[in-house]
Amino acid sequence: MKPKSYWNPYVAGVVLGLTLLSAFLVAGQGLGSSAFAKRTVALVGTEVAPEWTATNPALGRYVEGGANPMKDWLVIEVIGVLLGGFIGSVIGGRFKPTIEKGPRISVGGRMAYALGGGAVMGFGAALARGCTSGQALSGGALLATGSWAFMLMVFAGGYAMAYFVRRQWT
Amino acid sequence: MTTAILPLAFGSEEFRLLTAIVIGFVFGLSLEGAGFGNARKLAAQFYLYDMTVFKVMFTAVLVAMVGLYTLVGAGVVDLTAIWINPTYMWAQVVGGFLMGVGFIMAGLCPGTSVVSLSSGRYDGIVAFAGIMVGSLVFALAVDWFPQLEWLYEHGRHVSLLPHVFHLSFPVVMLGVVVIAVAGFVGAEKVEQIYRARYGAIELTPPTTRRSPRVKFALGGALVAVALVSLAWKQAPPQATPVRARPLAPIDLAEAIIAAEPDVMILDLRSQREGGGIPGAFAVTDSTAIPVLAGAIPETRVVVYDEDGFLKELPATWPPTLDYYYLEGGLGGWRTEVLTPATAAGFGLEQQAVTERQQQIAAFFSGSAVATTVVAPPPLLPSGGSHKKKERVGGC
Repeated sequence: MKPKSYWNPYVAGVVLGLTLLSAFLVAGQGLGSSAFAKRTVALVGTEVAPEWTATNPALGRYVEGGANPMKDWLVIEVIGVLLGGFIGSVIGGRFKPTIEKGPRISVGGRMAYALGGGAVMGFGAALARGCTSGQALSGGALLATGSWAFMLMVFAGGYAMAYFVRRQWT
Repeated sequence: MTTAILPLAFGSEEFRLLTAIVIGFVFGLSLEGAGFGNARKLAAQFYLYDMTVFKVMFTAVLVAMVGLYTLVGAGVVDLTAIWINPTYMWAQVVGGFLMGVGFIMAGLCPGTSVVSLSSGRYDGIVAFAGIMVGSLVFALAVDWFPQLEWLYEHGRHVSLLPHVFHLSFPVVMLGVVVIAVAGFVGAEKVEQIYRARYGAIELTPPTTRRSPRVKFALGGALVAVALVSLAWKQAPPQATPVRARPLAPIDLAEAIIAAEPDVMILDLRSQREGGGIPGAFAVTDSTAIPVLAGAIPETRVVVYDEDGFLKELPATWPPTLDYYYLEGGLGGWRTEVLTPATAAGFGLEQQAVTERQQQIAAFFSGSAVATTVVAPPPLLPSGGSHKKKERVGGC
């Protein structure tokens, strides 16, 4: 099947915006992604070191009172994202097991950047209590002050670093 | 004000969770449709030849913002029932910068790495694993470095842009719309210039074989089923020992007069106006832990707040800790210890009680009568009757 083009960015933005709005109206909260990673760490933590997890400043609130860290709206939502991404890519003919990278970098180099970049993001999103979905998108739409500061700093960090990793992409 | 019918109120948390799968599904569809499963397309935002990230994100922010606050203004939506990201300014500034650095390194952000991996990209799988590693490293680091914990916890407040700029919501929204539309126009121009240099992002060629798609679907379904069952797994019933025991103010007063060495009093009031109980440590939820860690193992801990509502300790406290809570809190202390009512009746017993009450009140008000106060036998149960474990550092 010939891959269909990506959606018009403004159409995609409207669909995404309506999805976010429905999350506010139906569930009383915005969207998120990094919560999934944090809660998975909390889940493993309760198995391996329950006391450390319960008293940890970053993880304690996920297991407060013996709560199941995975029983959370955002965790279920990410499972929906997983399914939506798969179905969308298959229907659009864009599903492909491959590695996205620029022509000037090896597969190993790209994977190292993906892992390292993921770790830096994971750290930053944990510190800021949210990522591009939870802070920039959801907090941005709510006009939360800190979320706007976060959003501007994401772009600042990306542009500041772009020159140094240009071999990966261009 | 009672006209607000949204957000929906669900009878059970389980039903609310079910909405997440539908909303998440459309979220995933739109991210993938926008091309955000493709790390090259996302990275191009930072080399200016494909500004889709900016266009999609700001369009979405505009739609959700205008939609939400219009409904709030119309009284249909109760804003107080919606969770608003609190502002922790420095944590968000530093965390946002790191998020941007990691974004261009990985070519993906947390949400897009999910659609990247579910549309078959191996770099998405690795990036998502990296995010988990980063989350774990943060949890470890925040325990090790008090400076990082300070940065993480410092300055929490709820703040919205209209409050910061002292402008009304419509004016701020109009400003955001104008800036975003100007941004869209600019983005289209910038793209044209830089596309000549780098070329547009071509779509990934189609899959010819069917099998990897099926494999991915099966793998994904397995992961999804495992995760859902994890979420629905009931938390194991916790054997909760009786941690909180009530303590009458008068008994605490006697213990203080007797100068019992193994009693530690913690003042947990949120606002400390007026005097507290003599010898109490003024602590907050978070500073209580280091105070407790330095306590002698057999110490009996007595906590009090304003009015005695505090019967459960914060969950972050060591779970093995036994403690006493002061009945009636500081209010109870005032009415029972500092300004006691005269005991009813005229018998010898009542007279003795009244006399003792007056002695105690005098002791704590610092009057001369205090000298006549002698230490009575301890009224608190002995500290050895209940074992406490030391807080064990995990990991």
